[in-house]
Amino acid sequence: MEGTLEGPPMTPRVFGVRVGIFSLGMEPGDEEFVNEFSGYGDKPSQIMWPSGIALNSQGNVYITDEWLNRISVFDQTGMFLTVWGSSGSDNLQFNRPSGICVDNDDNIYIVDSLNHRVQKMGSDGSFINTWGSYGDRESEFNSPWGISSDETGHIYVVDHKNHRVQKFDPSGRFIAQLGTFGVGVGEMNRPSDVAVDLDGDVYVCDWANSRIQIFDPNGNFLTSLVGNAQELTKWAKHSVDSNPDIQKARRRVHSLEPEQRFAMPTGVTFDKIMSRLIVADTQRYRLQIYNKVKNYTEPQFNL
Amino acid sequence: MADDNIALMAHLMRRAGFGAPRHELETRSVKGYEATVEELLNPEDQPAVDKYELLRYHPWAWKPGTMSNPGSASWMYHMVTTQRPLQEKVTLFWHQVFATGNSKVDHWDEIADMIDMFREEGMGKFRDLLLNLSKNPAMIFWLDNNENHGESLNENWGRELLELFSLGVGNYTETDVKEASRAFTGWTFDHKLPRFPYGRFDWDFLYRWNDHDANKKEFLGHGGLFNGEDIIDIIAEQTATAKFICRHLYNFFVADEPPVPTWPYTAPRDPEAISSLTNTFVQSDGSISDVLRTLFNSVFFKNAMFARVKSPTEVVVGTMRLVGGAEFPILGYGELSRQPGYMGQEPLNPPTVEGWHTGNEWVNSASLMSRINFVTDMLGDTNRPGVQTIIATLSSMGELSPGAFVDAVLEQMGSIQISRSARSELIEHAEHEGSLIPDSSKKSGRRVSEMLQLVSAVRDYQFG
Repeated sequence: MEGTLEGPPMTPRVFGVRVGIFSLGMEPGDEEFVNEFSGYGDKPSQIMWPSGIALNSQGNVYITDEWLNRISVFDQTGMFLTVWGSSGSDNLQFNRPSGICVDNDDNIYIVDSLNHRVQKMGSDGSFINTWGSYGDRESEFNSPWGISSDETGHIYVVDHKNHRVQKFDPSGRFIAQLGTFGVGVGEMNRPSDVAVDLDGDVYVCDWANSRIQIFDPNGNFLTSLVGNAQELTKWAKHSVDSNPDIQKARRRVHSLEPEQRFAMPTGVTFDKIMSRLIVADTQRYRLQIYNKVKNYTEPQFNL
Repeated sequence: MADDNIALMAHLMRRAGFGAPRHELETRSVKGYEATVEELLNPEDQPAVDKYELLRYHPWAWKPGTMSNPGSASWMYHMVTTQRPLQEKVTLFWHQVFATGNSKVDHWDEIADMIDMFREEGMGKFRDLLLNLSKNPAMIFWLDNNENHGESLNENWGRELLELFSLGVGNYTETDVKEASRAFTGWTFDHKLPRFPYGRFDWDFLYRWNDHDANKKEFLGHGGLFNGEDIIDIIAEQTATAKFICRHLYNFFVADEPPVPTWPYTAPRDPEAISSLTNTFVQSDGSISDVLRTLFNSVFFKNAMFARVKSPTEVVVGTMRLVGGAEFPILGYGELSRQPGYMGQEPLNPPTVEGWHTGNEWVNSASLMSRINFVTDMLGDTNRPGVQTIIATLSSMGELSPGAFVDAVLEQMGSIQISRSARSELIEHAEHEGSLIPDSSKKSGRRVSEMLQLVSAVRDYQFG
């Protein structure tokens, strides 16, 4: 950053700023650490406030950096390729770029959060178009955050401070919106991210309400998820197993239910191959994974 | 050059807030002194700090864990960005009086919750605040009330409640301590999930009726089957409580008093002021807001400019609000929140239940260096918007003689008053380079920034 306006004399502390690669496997406990790359710093291959991540069809990895106002690009092994962007409000300039997604044609959409717009780029980093400005009408944004594309190329943008999700066609033309401020059904409080599955169902990460809300392709509310992590993750189990005091403390509480719930989740994605929803349960340092069951039938009512 | 109204407004904003830049003082002066006092006393008329804005960029500030770095970042963000300065100042006041430290509690998040409670309740009725405090898990653990059982008393909370939080030494007996402690048996907290492996969970107040001593108590001349709430009611009605809290308010908002342990033996420096505040306290049924109205509108307050040594938190927050650049939740908020600690006032971690020793005790050779280094670093940074505003304002004044230059800097820093000798020394320094002439090169900017730093290093600047 220029000068010392935003940084020194305070030495920034670093909390796990890196990109990790993991395999999730099929069952709880299958998860494995694979590799990690990049790290804290302002060199081209480094990151400071990583916010969004997306992969293209070649496995290239794009990371948005909200502090350095740029996009870092790595190959699938984590080798640094290039970096795009700088601070500002011109094309290919950013003010806190956050959400990022790649469509089926490898076009890249970046939420340029505090410029209150979306920028669309080609996979070579070339500028294609941009839409949005500050406000709360259609096609306007207030500090948007997450973004996702669906199978038909539509783009969903999480309009964070307007407590809604807006849907656009690939050129940025407004189509529909979901949500309004509140804690009720279909209402949102500072949503953070969005994902769309192969059926067109929409999953909204309702950040300050600590839940996921699910809508059908027409925007009708289906259900909410509030977190249901009844089992410890493999790594959490190690930590509990090795500490008798923690085991006693866990037996002493009336209920373990509070730890099963989401706490301000910031990311959601749909694993199309395995048909499962993956939620970044941020304040509890874990992922919660839900299978989407095909052909689900209700059990008979008089069981 | 100095304008009495501006100087008085600057005084009010230093005490009822964390200082204000010159342009804000001018706006407030137009509105008027008493109207400004009313605005400060009604914080709900101004927008609250957006706590989600901080969490958006610093998620670790939610229920901060064991690290002191994030512990008080949320509060620092509130103090630096608030449009309700008195609300934050009152919060700081109660943290000083009801001092609860992370050194023992080891839960930054629980003490931070107490700070949030002070923000919500701090200007309301003293009785309600004290009752909420009695139910606060961090306080219960800090003063061992979870070890205070019907069959075996622990008098720590009962004693400090009377000695440091309400009546003050000399206004109760050992029997009262014991009886108050009996009344608070069974006031504890529920078990909570441990911090590992998934982070912090809330601690909740719990009343265990079967651990409460339900027999008759005798307390301050009253008798009955008292529970904790009854004790709070009796305490809140005592004139001694009103006097004690008002002396604390005087010490914090008006002028430095000697350390609290000497109060039973040392008269207040202004007994009439304490008496006036006490009257309002009693008449308003312990409304802190009403007492503060009396205080800020009083002659004794207006005559007490620069009669206090600034606390480290006031130094840091006041500086950040003057120089700007920290309105957005920038990188480094955690470190910023540690700065007062380097100067002897670690937020959320006072050394003992007695709180920090204030006044002259804020300053020693080490803390003075920390104070001056921090402030001069900030004022020397000409990229900061507040510094740029000062440079631009002086530039618009045309050529300034060394004397006018020094006076203009003192005014822009918030109508600062310094001794004649200090002013002469600053003028003497300015004379080396002659009059300040606005120029497009960076020379005048550098000179202004240098003068800001010099002012912040003179002895008088440590008072506020």
